Amino acid sequence: MTHGSAVRNAWVPAVSTGWTVTVVRPIAPETAAVTSFDGMDDASLIAASIEGRRDAFDVIVERHRRTVYQVCYRFVSNHEDASDLSQESFVRAWRGLKTFKGQSALSTWLYRIAVNVCLNRVSVKTPPTDPIESWDRFEDTRVEGAQAALLREERAATVRKAIASLPKKQRATLILRTYHDLSHQQIADILGSSVGATKANFFHALANLKKLLGSEP
Amino acid sequence: MTHLTPDELIDAVEGTIDEARQPHLDTCDVCRQQVADLASVLGEALAVAVPEPSPLFWEHLSQRVRTVIAAEPPAAGGWGSWLRWPVLAPIAALALIVMALAVAFPREARIAPEVATGEASDTTLDDRFTLVADLVGDFDWETAVSAGLTVAPGAADRAVLELTALEQQELTRLLQAELTRAKS
Repeated sequence: MTHGSAVRNAWVPAVSTGWTVTVVRPIAPETAAVTSFDGMDDASLIAASIEGRRDAFDVIVERHRRTVYQVCYRFVSNHEDASDLSQESFVRAWRGLKTFKGQSALSTWLYRIAVNVCLNRVSVKTPPTDPIESWDRFEDTRVEGAQAALLREERAATVRKAIASLPKKQRATLILRTYHDLSHQQIADILGSSVGATKANFFHALANLKKLLGSEP
Repeated sequence: MTHLTPDELIDAVEGTIDEARQPHLDTCDVCRQQVADLASVLGEALAVAVPEPSPLFWEHLSQRVRTVIAAEPPAAGGWGSWLRWPVLAPIAALALIVMALAVAFPREARIAPEVATGEASDTTLDDRFTLVADLVGDFDWETAVSAGLTVAPGAADRAVLELTALEQQELTRLLQAELTRAKS
């Protein structure tokens, strides 16, 4: 039976009782290709991508887009810029796939790209570094429910903005250590510095964050 | 004993402080306060999540990346990307022409054509033009363009400037002959 007749027969009403009519919808080639890459590990996906299979790279993007977006968001503290930076990170990853040697995890390599993209962007467009308003206004514990949630979100926004205004290496270190649980050694590798410098950056990031948030010891 | 360094304070916050420095931390109010402050601000930072974007955003991001890389060359690079017929064929054709020209116009002939005797030189040049014509005779302009051979801006001017006086004379003669033939 040809493919065309199979499709036509699928629409012929079944008049006899007891028949089971199964409609099989042809799978679009690109969907089939993406599905076939779903179970592959990162190394296989990279190899396929290097061979020019853009659908394999699609799966890489799908697996890592949330993490990359979150790194970028922490850097800039707004969705639009984070979205642009995420896109740029993946495009750079595509361009640089042949340089990925597999010595680190793909996720670590993507962290490195995302951080570099963010650092370069931050160099051009540094976020405002005005002191953040005092924490005192959020200390009213009598408010409950929606208002409390709103205040918590305001506080969270304040903290995010404070992080986004840290010097770039401090910011990168704080983000990778605090939110992505990278070791100091991994962060040092990504930033091209030493473990000692990374710890010093982390210390200064926390100290500056404390100042920006205006909290008292 | 000296206070903890920034590295050691971070180690203390993360619970990995060197055993030799622990006694100082246990007894130093300044260092303990610093560790408490750092832990406090770290705890506050940890509690802040990234706002979840719209569920539609993730596919939108994938689509944006897909659109950009669709216009990009394949990810493969280095020598591997050169070992393809669409690239090799025009390069081979170009190499053939260059080799033919090198044979037809050796460097000595271009540097000092006046040294050679007129009769021998003319005969040799004719033979060489014949050789070039035989090699590239069927290689018309359309074929060259379809094979990816294009002329860079200014390349023709530079090529003419590099011709010797004798070669320029011959080129002029050929062009005039061609123009006359076209008019007739």
